Amino acid sequence: MSTTDSHNSAPVTSTDIYDLAEAEDAALLKKSAKPLSQGQLVRRRFFRHKAAMISLVVIVLIVAVSFSSMGFLGIPGWWDKSYVTAGAVVNGGAPTLSLIPRWLGGEGIHLGEHPFGQESTGKDYFALVMVGTQRSIIMGVVVGVITTFVGSVIGAVSGYFRGRVDSVLMRITDVVIVIPLLAIAAALGQIAGNIGSSVFLLALMIGLISWTGLARLVRGEILSLREREFVAAAQSMGAGAGRIIFQHLMPNAIGVIVVNATFAIASAILLESSLSFLGFGVRPPETSLGLLISQYQGAFTNRPWLFWWPGGIILAFALAVNFLGDGLRDAFDPRQSHRIRRAGLFDWTGRNKNAPAAAIVPPQVEVQPGPSNPAAPTTEGGYDTDKGGRA
Amino acid sequence: MTAVDPNAAPALAFTDLNVRFATEGGIVHAVKGLSLDVKPGEVVALVGESGSGKSVTSTAAMGLLPANAMVTGEARVGGVNVVGLHEEKVRTMRATEIAMIFQEPMTALNPVLSIEKQLVETFELHDIAYGSDAVDRAIDLLRLVGIPEPEKRIKQYPHQFSGGQRQRIVIAIAISLRPKVIIADEPTTALDVTVQAEILDLLRRLKDELDSGILLITHNMGVVADLADRVAVMFRGSLVETGPVQDVLTNPQHPYTKKLLAAVPRLENVELAETAVVEETIEAPRDLVLRAEDVAIEYQMRGRRFRAVEGVSFDLAKNEILGIVGESGSGKSTIAKAVLGLIPVASGTLAVHGEDLASVSRRRAKEVRRQIGVVFQDPAASLDPRFPIGDVLMEPMIIHRVGTRASRLERAHELLDAVRLPRDVVNRYPHELSGGQRQRVSLARALMLKPELLIADEPTSALDVSVQAAVLEMIKELQQEYAFACLFVSHDLAVVDLLADHVLVMKDGHMVEHGATSSVLHHPQADYTKRLLAAAPVPDPAEQRRRREARRALLASQ
Amino acid sequence: MLIFILRRLAAAVGIMLASSVLMYVLAINSGDPLADLRESNADNRELLIQQRIEYMNLDMPWYQRYLTWLLGVGKCVIGQCDLGLNRNGQAVAPLLGQAASSTLQLVFLATIIALVVGIAIGVLTAVRQYSGLDYAVTFLTFLFFSLPVFWAAVLFKEYLAIGYNDWMRDPQLSPVQIVIVALVAGLLMQVFLGGSLRRRLITFGVTAAFFGAALPTLLALNFFREPRLGYVGVAVLTIAAALTIVTLSVGLQNRQVLYPVLITAGLVIVMQFVLVNVFIYYMNWWIIIGGLALAVIVPWLIGRAMGGRYRNVAIGASVATGVIGAALTVLDHIFRTWPSFLDKKPRPISTIGSHTPNFTGDFWQVFLDHATQLLLPTLILTVISLASYSRYTRSSMLEVNRQDFIRTARAKGAPERIVIFRHALRNALIPIATIAAFDFAGLIGGAVITERVFGWTGMGALFTNGLSMVDPAPVMAFFLVTGLAAIVFNMLADIFYAVLDPRIRV
Repeated sequence: MSTTDSHNSAPVTSTDIYDLAEAEDAALLKKSAKPLSQGQLVRRRFFRHKAAMISLVVIVLIVAVSFSSMGFLGIPGWWDKSYVTAGAVVNGGAPTLSLIPRWLGGEGIHLGEHPFGQESTGKDYFALVMVGTQRSIIMGVVVGVITTFVGSVIGAVSGYFRGRVDSVLMRITDVVIVIPLLAIAAALGQIAGNIGSSVFLLALMIGLISWTGLARLVRGEILSLREREFVAAAQSMGAGAGRIIFQHLMPNAIGVIVVNATFAIASAILLESSLSFLGFGVRPPETSLGLLISQYQGAFTNRPWLFWWPGGIILAFALAVNFLGDGLRDAFDPRQSHRIRRAGLFDWTGRNKNAPAAAIVPPQVEVQPGPSNPAAPTTEGGYDTDKGGRA
Repeated sequence: MTAVDPNAAPALAFTDLNVRFATEGGIVHAVKGLSLDVKPGEVVALVGESGSGKSVTSTAAMGLLPANAMVTGEARVGGVNVVGLHEEKVRTMRATEIAMIFQEPMTALNPVLSIEKQLVETFELHDIAYGSDAVDRAIDLLRLVGIPEPEKRIKQYPHQFSGGQRQRIVIAIAISLRPKVIIADEPTTALDVTVQAEILDLLRRLKDELDSGILLITHNMGVVADLADRVAVMFRGSLVETGPVQDVLTNPQHPYTKKLLAAVPRLENVELAETAVVEETIEAPRDLVLRAEDVAIEYQMRGRRFRAVEGVSFDLAKNEILGIVGESGSGKSTIAKAVLGLIPVASGTLAVHGEDLASVSRRRAKEVRRQIGVVFQDPAASLDPRFPIGDVLMEPMIIHRVGTRASRLERAHELLDAVRLPRDVVNRYPHELSGGQRQRVSLARALMLKPELLIADEPTSALDVSVQAAVLEMIKELQQEYAFACLFVSHDLAVVDLLADHVLVMKDGHMVEHGATSSVLHHPQADYTKRLLAAAPVPDPAEQRRRREARRALLASQ
Repeated sequence: MLIFILRRLAAAVGIMLASSVLMYVLAINSGDPLADLRESNADNRELLIQQRIEYMNLDMPWYQRYLTWLLGVGKCVIGQCDLGLNRNGQAVAPLLGQAASSTLQLVFLATIIALVVGIAIGVLTAVRQYSGLDYAVTFLTFLFFSLPVFWAAVLFKEYLAIGYNDWMRDPQLSPVQIVIVALVAGLLMQVFLGGSLRRRLITFGVTAAFFGAALPTLLALNFFREPRLGYVGVAVLTIAAALTIVTLSVGLQNRQVLYPVLITAGLVIVMQFVLVNVFIYYMNWWIIIGGLALAVIVPWLIGRAMGGRYRNVAIGASVATGVIGAALTVLDHIFRTWPSFLDKKPRPISTIGSHTPNFTGDFWQVFLDHATQLLLPTLILTVISLASYSRYTRSSMLEVNRQDFIRTARAKGAPERIVIFRHALRNALIPIATIAAFDFAGLIGGAVITERVFGWTGMGALFTNGLSMVDPAPVMAFFLVTGLAAIVFNMLADIFYAVLDPRIRV
């Protein structure tokens, strides 16, 4: 214990470096691990997220089965029944799928002739549902892709240039946002339906108006990224707007973009099913999951399978995509996922009572610059010319 | 100064404190066996750079460490060991036995509650006073810490106060229940130097009135010399030296302390009293690179035009360094940004090699930009996190379409050698480098195209002291080798003194004084410059005491 | 401030105009309004076609049609709304009035309930981050996000409506069902209240036992068909609530809070006795509003007068007790009416329409009729909105928790409760306001679907019928209301923002 008058110095080892700058340089030289880019870090975190991994499996399963069973774009599938030929109704159209093995007292695991049953005119429901799933997925993906591209470019341009460009673009966005999404999508859907019954056309039309949400979020992200010094450095170097937006800003906003694109896919699928339910979406002879539910909602009491299968698949797919998006969000923004816990698995309180969670970040842990929380609204930046404190 | 009773029981006592964190990258041993005492009425400065563990130590004493911290050892506050103590008991000790003053005054207060509510809360939480009684006590506290018109201002909100005033309020909250221990975690780091001097005065006054032990955490040796009785130096989690402040600062024993003190830039031989004008020697003809004449810069803020800079004139020649100093809001960074073309110039001329950047065509402006390199303040944000270092370095050449891939890489290697970084860093990413290393990369990038003009906007303000010394040394060397002109913006007068040939002092957008460093910083004419120089603390307690007296005299005379 | 509001209003009006043009053009071009007539074989086909052309101004070019409509809307300012004629020649304005009230009722109620419950759940999961509760709630939230509204509606119809109605005919629960309900209730309660293992076991045990004993008793008393509270019931429950509130907040020994709360409880009990005949015979909506106002103002005054240094807690506790007491009184009267209601409407939860046609009865019976019709659609919309509000609140709370001033509050020695509610929540609510405003517009879309499933003749029907028949007048009427609602809510959100955040106000 040092008293107020003594002057103590710790013992010195000859091999230790007692200079911070030198210590840092030595640490750098010693680094033998491969360089880890941001992308690789994100990927690593993503693969550790259990819910996202399970969702990925579910999605791949659904996509694989639906596209391979009924074939796509002329390539034939492995399911022998067609979704358009009517036939004789067997056993009231009940499903022949059985999952309880014989040794447990069931009928054994087999698919049977009509695993999902038959609908009223005898068409095989499995075929119908698989085709419907294909259409819904195509819909979701196409709308998702359009949303992502249009939305991020508009948001980025708006956020980077600010001023008049921003005002004009945001006013246009507002004009579209004011109209309830379902209303404008319904009108567009009806127009698409009059031109032709292709799912691609419908998807294109819906894509025209679905980018607004993503545009706003990207704009917010770009507005805040823009204040970072590496943008000023690029500008000072003489980089043009194009280079700055596409090489510097967008890659750093990739978190917001990817996460919200995933959510956009899920909501596009749900939107399509709602539209088809109301009659403004896909029309016969084309089919989609929403249309199937709409057609057979009355059958719920005596032929429930006609209702359960399409709804269940929409639910499973949308749920899986949403969890995937959540996993991506956690991967891009690690500050939120502080997964080091010493508590047990079934710790329902979620916190160790003796050490409250505080906002102190432990040293030597890099706080990765990550995308801001998409739930935060966009605010106009302003200079804080506060005297007396370093702004 | 009240005498500290050497036999009193310590107010705060650490015994073999060890703190480990479980992180994504493994276990981090932040504090390694720290033992330290703080007696009542004593100020102990805990000094260190980043990674030293000083902040973690203080948070451990408050019981505010995050859930992934593993603490062993003792941290006794007034005799009670906080480590491992039940949360509820620790909670009752906060503010009553041990209080904390934080670093960032701008964000330390709840923005949606009035000051009154936040001050009164402390009293009510601990059953000391309620209602109007508590409000009266709060008003007294505000008066004590030097907030004018406390009865009126207590109803206001945090954003209506300046940074310095907010820090005073935070101090008021900390002392409101007269705790045994006050921990001040970098209390003046985010403040301007004149405001810092005022806050240090306040803390010194309070130290004499209360009987609390103060643990002052800082990396600024000047602050240590100004306020502390004893010093404890930490490096990489271990305590390497302790002792009375006079001993440690003037006669350091441990090599780390020696290096640390050697790295602190010092401003010496400052004459504040007389006003003798130093003779200007005839200078050799100068090759002007940058010229500013009566420059005014404005920008839009929430719809209103704001004149950030007015009537500024200077010139800068090859091989010279011009330092622009001032406090926050002085407009110094604005000038740098205008030279870079990031903000338009409202009136006056700003010419690089005779070409006015505002009036030339865009293509010509781009050509001119080849001649300018820039280093910014924040090492975390000045490099694109998604670019490997090689791409970062080669970007200027890519933008201006200079050279082939091979020659660009060659040049990058050349500059990495110049800033003393290993060549294989071209494949690494910014987050793998420390702050100082990133600033060196920024410097290398700025010099890729052999610029004539280097703009350095507070390049070392965010770095640790020893790292800062290394980077400044490097800038000097590079300038001697590459002979560029340098515009160096800083708030730190000692740093500017070290590097610059000429100095421009800014206040509120206006030029206050301009001339050779030897005259402006050592024989200042303007009152403001004198105040600035008087306020900057030096890392020698005896000297600092003299300067305090000089400052008091100066302020009284002005 | 005024200029700010006016400028926002002007911008909003401009945007509305542009949107209306967009909507109009899309609606007109979405098909052929005369399609069905062209294919009909009726004798007066030509006459009908001519009529329709007249009603819908089909002979004018599109911009003239639009301007005619716009002028008609402009007349709303002087009180003579002319929203055009639909394809059958009916004026749309009166149709809209009917439809709007019914839809807005639905959406409004759903939004309020979703906000309150959603924020509560959001705060709870943010505080218990990464706990089992958090994961469970997160999963349920995502589940509700991903549900197709109409699919869920059909399921609700089947299980909640039809199932409940069937069960209502002869309410019975098998012992197994009682045990399951008791266990689930116990499980939920202990998750909700949290605490140490010992405390959880006690909560679980007490709750399960309570349900296990209460359910058979209620069944035996035929409580589900003839519920009863009576004066005594209301009195006992009000006092129980009062005591619980005081215990949970400051403890029973605190006289300054206990007395005003007990006085309030007493007042409520007396009032419910004195006013019973008014409630039964002279009931109307004004009495409910007035009563609610009194139930807030009087306890507020009592708490303020008697609270002393615990004034704020006293006020809060008294107001809560007053409101709970008033709610219990209303519940009592609903219970009294339930048997006669069941007689008039044996299958209480109907799935078609917003109220039973030709239903007559006293205030309470009509109230119950509306309520039971409103129940399912509101539930569906609430559940879906709730999911997004709870997620937003959770992430906002987590974001705020990282801020410095939270650390300052903890350093002051504030208990966790104060840190969460006084410091974190007030800051976290600020972005929620903006989000709620936008969400409202989205909810109207959900209402369209829900109305279709439940056969309501609300704005949804107006819109879908109008669009499918390529009739712009009802479609534009729908747009007008939703657009207006969006603007009003955005304005409200801005005001709320200013109220919450002094940085904008001062």
